Amino acid sequence: MRNYKVKTLLPHWLLYLVLVIAAGLILVQPASAQETSEYCLGCHGNPDLNMTLPDGGVLSLYISEDMLHSSVHAQSGIECSACHDDIQTYPHPPIEYDSKRSLSRSYYLTCRKCHSQNYEKTLDSMHAQAAEQGNLEAPICTDCHGAHDVQKPDEPRSLIYTTCGQCHSQISETYKDSVHGGALIQEDNPDVPVCTDCHGVHNIQDPRTEQFRVAQPDLCARCHADAELMSKYSLPSNVYSLYQLSWHGVDVAVFKSRWPTIWHDSAVCSDCHGVHNIRKTSDPASSVSSQNLLSTCQNCHPTAGPNWVGAWTGHHEISLERTPFVFYTQAFYSSFTPFVLWLSVIYVVLQIIRSTVDRARRSLSK
Amino acid sequence: MSVSPPTSTPLDQSVSTIRTLPRFTLAQRWEHLILLVSVVGLLITGLPQKYRGAAWSQQILSTPERVYTIQTIHRIAAVVLTLLIVYHLGRAIYLMSRRRLGGDMLPSMQDVKDAFGMLRYLLFLTKAKPKFGKYNFEQKFTYWFVFFSIGIMTLTGFVLWFPILFTRVLPGGVIPAAKLAHSTEAVVTGIFIVIWHFYHVHIERLNLSIFNGWLNDQETRSYHPLEFERLTGEPAEPPQSGENH
Repeated sequence: MRNYKVKTLLPHWLLYLVLVIAAGLILVQPASAQETSEYCLGCHGNPDLNMTLPDGGVLSLYISEDMLHSSVHAQSGIECSACHDDIQTYPHPPIEYDSKRSLSRSYYLTCRKCHSQNYEKTLDSMHAQAAEQGNLEAPICTDCHGAHDVQKPDEPRSLIYTTCGQCHSQISETYKDSVHGGALIQEDNPDVPVCTDCHGVHNIQDPRTEQFRVAQPDLCARCHADAELMSKYSLPSNVYSLYQLSWHGVDVAVFKSRWPTIWHDSAVCSDCHGVHNIRKTSDPASSVSSQNLLSTCQNCHPTAGPNWVGAWTGHHEISLERTPFVFYTQAFYSSFTPFVLWLSVIYVVLQIIRSTVDRARRSLSK
Repeated sequence: MSVSPPTSTPLDQSVSTIRTLPRFTLAQRWEHLILLVSVVGLLITGLPQKYRGAAWSQQILSTPERVYTIQTIHRIAAVVLTLLIVYHLGRAIYLMSRRRLGGDMLPSMQDVKDAFGMLRYLLFLTKAKPKFGKYNFEQKFTYWFVFFSIGIMTLTGFVLWFPILFTRVLPGGVIPAAKLAHSTEAVVTGIFIVIWHFYHVHIERLNLSIFNGWLNDQETRSYHPLEFERLTGEPAEPPQSGENH
């Protein structure tokens, strides 16, 4: 009965044409991300398109075509439905999210489909911990990378501190004024650390823990013990090795190797030089400049007087000019020690020889 | 110092008696014992702190609490040693003020001559050792070496214990210098005592006079002939018949 109806309603050639077009569409579809996005933008290209969510928030459904097409995903041919895998039909299935945030927090899981390694890393991060404790504002992929406008996150490098600064605004302001931030922003310096160089990228850890603190000198040493890199800026590269010989450095090394989970109070780099506000040591505003050094020492040694700063040999080799007391002490012991020890060894050996010979003579003469 | 008169009773041939001659007073023996215990305690608790990077040190200092404990023991031993020094110096000053301090331990020209004589003897240039008095130059060298060493250790030790207090007066540079001196001096003195003092009191001969207070007449005769003559009034025959200087 139905066949008969089709035959009567449509001419054969028209049916054939429809089949060819349908087959053509199906075959061409995989290479036509542009076309799907064109299709979606048919509606979502309308700036006024929005909907009201149950919490009263207005969700804009507008996607700018320029923004979408300049994203790294669109350029590599990734289509809307790659991420919006729950929306394959029109009319769309109903949206089940109370708020914009719960929608974002649900949608970002699709990033895992392609970027599984980085996603796994985020699960180990400080941000994931904050989310677990109920902070829904804790950042997810799209908060840092963007969604429809996703771009390379480190081009230019200075983009990174502004990304982090979206939430950590005070720190990013402080960083801007530091020696590292200044060089990044003013000179587009490729060597200075940005946020992620010290804090990591996806598995960002809490920097207030014992483990972070005890490993902190190593973090600075990654650059500041690199002779090649430091010579570029005429900076000494032995600051770390000399620190390790210091009172503070020895203590920290022991804690690091034996008790990394126990809090220690011995000074690490950032205790004296600052964290995000690190300045050149020659800068009068630096926490270790001659004007500020005493008050920096007093953070830990509150009763220290002005002479106290001289007790710190600095990141310097022992020298007559900088550390005369240590210099002379070392000079004294470098001659006194071998002199007195060799003297006693030689004297005792001579005594042993003489008494052995005497004993042998006595036993022979008997 | 009181001298016990030598026994004058004729000796039975079958019975040999050992005549002992006094060498150290009870107070001096206690001083040595306290010195020994406190210095050993200071070395045992000090060396792990000096070599904190070494595995053996980290085995001893296995927890942060142990570091504090060992530092506390070190400071208690340091206070004991300091009190001993105060007693020793105080007594010497007191005796000096009464002009009763014996000069036995003071270095003299004779010690230089004795040292040369001993060197000639050790190099087989002469057959007889120099005749020593109560304290020979080796023992005086030990005493004065340890005397100055403990002086340095005490001064630098208190600087390290109260660095903030000391830098109120002294320049800050003395703190790292004190640290270097304290740890180097300790090791030098420790090794010196093992080589020099241990050889002379344990290997050359077992000399326990600092513990029991006496030496027998044979030992006194051969090692301290002048002291033997002074104590007994008898001539000390040289241990070997040969020329004396």
